[in-house]
Amino acid sequence: MKSVKTIFSFVIPLCVMLITFSMYIFTEEIIANYKNKISDDYAIVVITNTPLIKDDINSLAGIAVKKIVTLDKEEIIQKVKDSLSENSIFLLKQRLPFFYTLHLETFPTSSQLEIIRNELAKIPNINKIEIFSKDHNKIFSLLVLNQNIIIVFFVISLLFSIILFSKQIQIWFYEHQEKISIMQLHGASILYSASAVIKHALIAAFIAFLIISSLLFFIFENLTIIFPPELHSIIEIDTSLNIEFVYLFVLSMSISITTIIGVLFKYKIRKYG
Amino acid sequence: MIKAKEIYLSYDENRFIIKKGNFQIKPREFVFIGGASGSGKSTLLKSFYGDITLKHGQLLIDNQDMSTPSNRTLREVRKNIGVIFQDYKLVKEWTIEENIMLPLKINGYSNDISKQQAIKLLSHVKLSHREGFYPSQLSGGEQQRVAVARALAHNPKIIIADEPTGNLDDSSADLVWNLLKNANEQLGITIVVVTHRVPRNFGIAFRQLSIEDGIIYEVC
Repeated sequence: MKSVKTIFSFVIPLCVMLITFSMYIFTEEIIANYKNKISDDYAIVVITNTPLIKDDINSLAGIAVKKIVTLDKEEIIQKVKDSLSENSIFLLKQRLPFFYTLHLETFPTSSQLEIIRNELAKIPNINKIEIFSKDHNKIFSLLVLNQNIIIVFFVISLLFSIILFSKQIQIWFYEHQEKISIMQLHGASILYSASAVIKHALIAAFIAFLIISSLLFFIFENLTIIFPPELHSIIEIDTSLNIEFVYLFVLSMSISITTIIGVLFKYKIRKYG
Repeated sequence: MIKAKEIYLSYDENRFIIKKGNFQIKPREFVFIGGASGSGKSTLLKSFYGDITLKHGQLLIDNQDMSTPSNRTLREVRKNIGVIFQDYKLVKEWTIEENIMLPLKINGYSNDISKQQAIKLLSHVKLSHREGFYPSQLSGGEQQRVAVARALAHNPKIIIADEPTGNLDDSSADLVWNLLKNANEQLGITIVVVTHRVPRNFGIAFRQLSIEDGIIYEVC
């Protein structure tokens, strides 16, 4: 009964941490998918005097340039053709600059947009740049804000769970002081003496992983609970649960093991100086 | 087996409990360490299993230097000796077999072998009928017999005992002395016992050391 109590005192902080980590992974995935979706619709327009060569602009603000599309001058000429003479059209064709749209691999953030503008401005033959910063996607900014809040929340919960976890191990040490000292009198190492708490902590890590994995599985099977159908056209949810399970397992076990090692190390220093 | 050369023991710098201690205990000997209460008998015994370190001098336990032992040396020495305490020092939440299995498991024996040995030893200390019991369900004498069984479990070369019969009535004490005598005579284990009262008509050869004012004497 006492063992069950010990295990569950480890499980609770781990679960809180794993939930926030899942939320972080989940929003990151949503943002990545959303970025890809809106980056297809987004393009920067540049006007140049001479033709633009793709090899000169491979990346902007660290984002790869997917393609450069030349806008057809004929379309512009067609619109004004009726009101101009043959000679004027010829002259217009000679004087009209080159129009391009630059398509990026991923959707840039507002700060990246400014860097892109500056980088493009440094290219000598570019006359005009339109980055459509006012149209920069508000939903995207909101998602990034949301992600940042979750990161902060995750870091806080990670710290709290480590503190709670290590306190629980210290309580265990205090409760089992007599047993540990008897074991050490017979030549047991600290690691051996603490084998019971190590076992409990690892079982707790596994239980926490199972609980959160089951919860995630349930949510993914019933996505409409948190994402009403009207959101599906805006946000695409394409998360690989298997990879997320691996992340959760590794995180749960590593937090558990590193905390135990930390507490054992502290115990050893205190005991042997 | 145990060799002390000019050893000094103290808990603080001002007063030495053991001063200039010189003695040697040979293999297969049965040695009593006597002296008045507070004379330093238990402190001397503690130095044998590294619960207190020497201030000066040299102490060899089975060729391991215990003067300023490293953690590894300390563990090695403790793994190879058997210890018995006045207050038994049994783990309350373990059954008596599990307590006997402790030194075996620390020495790397499998659970099955440790269990078999524990059951054999329970029979040796005449406690087979108590198998599966917890220490709190046993009398003081029975608990000390479990402690003796635990000390014998891994077949150590040395057993050190601190007032093993201090809390026991005469008949329980006799049983414990008989177990220790058998261990010495039949298994050739060196036994060092701290006691304030050496039993009468002990029946086997033994040596006696005594501590007075921090000085260790050989009692003839």
